[in-house]
Amino acid sequence: MKKWLFIWIVLAANQGLYAQDSGKKATVRFRHANLRQAFAQLEKTYGLYFSYNENNLALYGKEIDFQLKDVTASQVLDKIFANSPLNWSFKGNLVVLTADPNYQKKPGSSHAVAETPADTITDTLYKAGADLGEVVVVGYGRQSRKLLTSAISTVQSSEFNKGNFNSPAQLLQGKVAGLTIARSGDPNGAPSIILRGPSTLRPGPAQEPFYVIDEVPGADIRLVSPDDISAIEVLKDASATAIYGTRASNGVIMITTKKARQAQTLVSVNNYASVEKVARKIRMMTAGQLKAYLARNSLALDPSDDQGANTDWQQAVTQTALSHNQHVSLSGGSNNLTYNASVNYFDSKGILRNTGLNRLIGRAGVEQRVLNNHLKLGISVSTAATNSYLLPDQPIILYNMLRYLPTVPVYKADGTYTENLQRVQYYNPVSLQNNAWQNLKNKTTLLNGTARLILPLGFKYDVNLTSQVGQDNSGTYYTSQYALKTGTNGQAYRSSYESSKKMIETFLTFARRRGDHDVNVLGGYSWQEDVTGDGFQASNQDFPTDALGYTNIGLGSPAGNYRNDWGVNQYQKLRLISFYTRAKYSYKDRYLLQLSLRRDASSAFGVNNRWATFPAASFAWRAIDESFLKYQSLFSDLKARISYGVTGNSLGFDPLISKVQYSSVGAFYYNGNFVNAIGPSQNANPDLKWEKTAMFNTGVELALLKGRIKAGIEYYNKLTSNLIWYYPVSTIRYFVSTYTANVGSISNKGFELTVDATPVKGASFQWATFLSLAHNDNKLVSLSNNIFKLDSIFEASPGGQGQTGSYVQIIKSGKPVGQFFTFSYAGKNAAGVSQFYDATGKITLAPRNFVDYHYAGNAQPKVQLSWGNNLAWKGFDCNIFVRAFLGARVMNATLADLNRPDEVTNYNLPVFSANESSRDISAYIYSNRYVENASYWRLDNITLGYTFSSFFKGMRSLRLYVAGNNLAIITRYRGIDPEVSLSGLTPPAGLTPGVDNKDYYPRTRAFLVGLDLDF
Amino acid sequence: MKLSKYITRLAGILLLGACTKTDVPVENQLTPATFPTTDEQFILAAGPAYVGFRGSYCLAYWQSQTLSTDEAILPSRAGGWYDGGRYQQMHYHSWTPDNPIVGDTWTWGFSTISTCNQVLALFASSKDSPARTRAAAEIRTLRALLFYFMMDAYGNIPVPTTFGDTAKPVQKTRSEVFNFIESEVKSVLPLLGAATDATQYGRPNAYTAYALLARLYLNAEVYTGKPRYKDVVTYCDSVIRSGKYSLATDYAKMFYPDNGPQMTEFILAIPYDHASAQGEQFNWYSLHPALQKKYGLSYRLSNPVSTIPSYYAQFSDSADVRTTLWLTGKQYDFSGNPIVINTTKVGLDNTYTGSDAGTPVDYQLTFTPDVTLRDVDKFEVGGDELGKAKGIRNIKYYPDVTATDRNQSNDVPVFRYADILLMKAEAILRGATPTDNTTALSIVNQLRTARKATPLATLDLDAMLKERALELNWENTRRIDLIRFGKFEGSWGYKTDADPNKRIFPIPSGERVLNPGLIQNPGY
Repeated sequence: MKKWLFIWIVLAANQGLYAQDSGKKATVRFRHANLRQAFAQLEKTYGLYFSYNENNLALYGKEIDFQLKDVTASQVLDKIFANSPLNWSFKGNLVVLTADPNYQKKPGSSHAVAETPADTITDTLYKAGADLGEVVVVGYGRQSRKLLTSAISTVQSSEFNKGNFNSPAQLLQGKVAGLTIARSGDPNGAPSIILRGPSTLRPGPAQEPFYVIDEVPGADIRLVSPDDISAIEVLKDASATAIYGTRASNGVIMITTKKARQAQTLVSVNNYASVEKVARKIRMMTAGQLKAYLARNSLALDPSDDQGANTDWQQAVTQTALSHNQHVSLSGGSNNLTYNASVNYFDSKGILRNTGLNRLIGRAGVEQRVLNNHLKLGISVSTAATNSYLLPDQPIILYNMLRYLPTVPVYKADGTYTENLQRVQYYNPVSLQNNAWQNLKNKTTLLNGTARLILPLGFKYDVNLTSQVGQDNSGTYYTSQYALKTGTNGQAYRSSYESSKKMIETFLTFARRRGDHDVNVLGGYSWQEDVTGDGFQASNQDFPTDALGYTNIGLGSPAGNYRNDWGVNQYQKLRLISFYTRAKYSYKDRYLLQLSLRRDASSAFGVNNRWATFPAASFAWRAIDESFLKYQSLFSDLKARISYGVTGNSLGFDPLISKVQYSSVGAFYYNGNFVNAIGPSQNANPDLKWEKTAMFNTGVELALLKGRIKAGIEYYNKLTSNLIWYYPVSTIRYFVSTYTANVGSISNKGFELTVDATPVKGASFQWATFLSLAHNDNKLVSLSNNIFKLDSIFEASPGGQGQTGSYVQIIKSGKPVGQFFTFSYAGKNAAGVSQFYDATGKITLAPRNFVDYHYAGNAQPKVQLSWGNNLAWKGFDCNIFVRAFLGARVMNATLADLNRPDEVTNYNLPVFSANESSRDISAYIYSNRYVENASYWRLDNITLGYTFSSFFKGMRSLRLYVAGNNLAIITRYRGIDPEVSLSGLTPPAGLTPGVDNKDYYPRTRAFLVGLDLDF
Repeated sequence: MKLSKYITRLAGILLLGACTKTDVPVENQLTPATFPTTDEQFILAAGPAYVGFRGSYCLAYWQSQTLSTDEAILPSRAGGWYDGGRYQQMHYHSWTPDNPIVGDTWTWGFSTISTCNQVLALFASSKDSPARTRAAAEIRTLRALLFYFMMDAYGNIPVPTTFGDTAKPVQKTRSEVFNFIESEVKSVLPLLGAATDATQYGRPNAYTAYALLARLYLNAEVYTGKPRYKDVVTYCDSVIRSGKYSLATDYAKMFYPDNGPQMTEFILAIPYDHASAQGEQFNWYSLHPALQKKYGLSYRLSNPVSTIPSYYAQFSDSADVRTTLWLTGKQYDFSGNPIVINTTKVGLDNTYTGSDAGTPVDYQLTFTPDVTLRDVDKFEVGGDELGKAKGIRNIKYYPDVTATDRNQSNDVPVFRYADILLMKAEAILRGATPTDNTTALSIVNQLRTARKATPLATLDLDAMLKERALELNWENTRRIDLIRFGKFEGSWGYKTDADPNKRIFPIPSGERVLNPGLIQNPGY
């Protein structure tokens, strides 16, 4: 939007010296013309050329519709640019357009430039979808939305979710059709993000989108605080992402931060405080309910378990969490120098006691224009210091807060923790919570220098140098009382690992417009080297006191043949090299064509397949500019797009994956000592190559009723081939039973619909509404290649007690990822014992693994819906946001493993089990009984704000707001929350979405009070 | 066009300056360029084979060789340990090609063979030296031993001997594999060392090769249909006459956590360490949680494994030291105080239906021989205190107080001198010519005397089998012993299956998916 005025260098007006008007007079006539059309006519008529930054054109919101006789070019230009944010000047016969930094909307002016400066847009109406006047960030450049040929969604800062978020990704939850984001209540949990369906079999980074922050590809997302972001672009189709080649298969998220502007010093303060509580609990039996159950079944607790207590263990380990966020930013500029700086402190406590996160982010940037504005130099530094407070055995705590018997108190009479270590995985969760801690400190600093040189003849040259250095220091301590480490008398771990990223990006852009022809060509090169895990770990145990924790690790004196745990070798170095080019051509701004090509190399791959080429092409037709639509008034915009492209995926694995590696594979006895055996830890695959995603995308954007209703629909068809997967191989021929190879393919097809409407647009009351709907069809096409043939493989083993080796999902050709394949529940027999159908449909009491599995739905949603509403009345604004996830299924392994009525004297039961027979020794068996409908409607956010106008001179605005997150949910799911991780079990064996496995950090309900103050 | 020239030139400048080197030097991992090159490195490079060998010998392999016999049973207890029926199938002889124990045993054997092949390939491409020759001979012996285990378990197996062979594996008949092992061991015998001290401990020496041949020949009739008892005596005598081994003076101490190269009976043992070399977890499987305090253990005991009454009944000689290595009856701590569990009447016995079910009971932990299933379908002995105490427990590998988790430091013998004596005695009993003025009975009584058992007056095959059970329990020999004595089709516990096809395990289904050419064994 308006901020872009100042970012791009324009050929500055040195008006006095060069101003020139040939004096030629002519007659001009414009009919509903846009600027480009007007320029084309003026070029013909007066022999002029125009020089401009195309972003600036977007600021010009009017139609040109007038006729003048016998006028000079100056007179025409004056008429065109009167009351507009653009200035013009002559430089020879070149007309140079610049944006007017001091432009303020004058009364009566009709075009759509925000009244307040762009940094602090207070207009909170939804503008997502196709706001055709806006400028969007594309890879290596910017472009007017109306000239886009690819699928890019923009979310402005005003549309961000409001909440206590640890990652900017959460700002987008539900805002972009096709982008699925899930996160538990864990303040340290990273959200899992999938764009347009899973297109890889590997979990983690391999399925996450690629982040570009202020044109720095792969920058750490922790470096940017939500308040510094002005907009986020999500590049969805291959024609948009292919310019990022190998890292772009899962889409690209481009974050643009707020920038300074000349001659205006801006200060803003953004603060909020929040209170969070557990939103939903699993209803476990109280002591009374448990005893009633026992009595009904003629059972009794052991005396040591029957202590007259009624402990709510979920209550005991959780807390009401207070969090706050403070953000101050300053920006301004003069004399071709602009600067901006901001500081953000974010402190988020977890609802699980002793968990939390705090982060301090500092950013500063300076930009200077020299050589008569032909050269712009910029330097920026961002640094973030994050402290994470973690619980080392959090999954065990989360499991035991559910099943620990309510009849015992947290503490015994003597003040020590109640404990009974005779049972499997049965530990006092409060004791675990208080007797071990981990503090992970991360410091990341990014330094970025940019230079942009405007060359003659429409050329522009950019160099972008980046260095990012991260340091992770971790300390973990288990006290001598820690039930999972008995006999160690206190155990400490410390580690220190550094990571670094060096990048050079350089590209040359050529842009020229002649008549109806507009050409823009880009060519570039990038080089990147990442080093991660450069450091070490040390351990010690048998400490004289627990008082010092891990801080003095040398104090331990371990007995006997203690071996320092150096941890696994984490050192990795990866180099990526790319050449890329993109050409755009448009004719009359009506027929738009874009071609791009990227050639990428990654050192991670086998020597035979390091380089790969990623092409893309797209075409758009702006039908609205056709003459046959000129005189209708229904459509104010109509555009159709089509694109096809190929992108790659090389994220998420060890850079030395293609080589045989030797490492310590364990110790063996040699002449009196156990020495490390050095052996191959990985099979070599020199043919390993890129995962490739080919995507076809087509879309239509339209606006009706003068823009009161805007709608967009996208259809895509995505086929990922050469899937990189840890293929099971026979140990007859390989020494490790998995082989990293390119096998098979996976398909995602779907559509996305977005509608923006402003049903009411009165002088004092406005209602804007936004609806998005996405549907994706995922299917594994094949798991085989020319060497390896495999039809299916079992996945997702929740591993509950007595169920080792039992799987609940299958990856199979023709089925989607997350296909449940488990036992089929056949009700209870007369004795109340669970029965199952065997493979032939007969009833059995002891179903056999693998053989008796049946299909039981899949984890992926059929439809994702978001509905946002923005109401404004005078100074008040109100935002109501609802999200829905329909047709997904979740394996509630948590409930299954809790439902052990025959073990009721050892472990507490959920209220769900009240009617189960205590003789049912098979109640817990994973089956379709626990594959639940996880559809939900969530009232995700309500924000109510009031904006005060200026109280005193210098103050621009003050907004106070209250917000509530996760206020209500409608679902039939019986677990804590139906929105479980999309990524899979940890540690992940493969991609296993939709398994709720006893370790769900409860989602929270949050209330915020916030203040935004601008000077 | 002028314009395109400009672009080309500028692009040229840009690209010439551009680095296109994608070879990142490997800085933190060993690769074939840097490893192995020295004698010491050969030893380290051979190490992975021993690490692999150690891996499942006491876990999946032990389960396949022991839970399939009357020696041990692993029922479900308190809802745990059902694990898809894998242990139940072992007991009933109803295992399928999907059973993870069947699959894990195969994976263990063949991945270790593959590692041996890889080590040998490394050696072949390096400079010849005596150290290399010796190390290679040891690896070939180890590989032959693994082929033996795999042939014994699965019958017709592939015999891959070169690493990186991309041809689909082809199965050989059991006789062919037998012949391969025999000739392979004989050909490496001259290259193997004769040391029995710490320098050789844990790796095969010449006596390992003799012992392997003796084991192979003892069971030759099972594998090939042709008895070779004379050869058994020959190779047992090669060990006996060397004078390097002798019966231990204290049977129990032989299996303590601090056992090692000083054990005079160990011909080949797998050295375990609770921290460095893990994989031996017998006590975690066998001991009741209430015994944790008594033995000073810092980890929770799991408790599922016990023996079967008919097997335990053989331990009737109270003078025999081997009888003392079982936990049975009422349990006491070392001060003689009873080990007491505070529970209720129904907690003790969940079939109790009296109105005073909740009345507290102090139950003294008592191991009873029976392993009566409360729920036969789920192979469940019950989650009450009586259920948890069912079955006699083996404590031959004495608990390791230094262990911080379930892994113990007791080394586990693969070939032991006592077994050499028993093999020789059995071969003579089955018709081989006695040597060195011994008889089958004299050899057995030599052993029994060392174990303080009453000498036998006569010896028949049943007594021979019984003696092996007394001596070699928990040492992975019971399955082949029962097969050789024709008793594998007998009934014990809940098992009544008498299908002789069960003498070999099925080829795991996972392996047949990966190698569809492998032919399944009959009966599966």
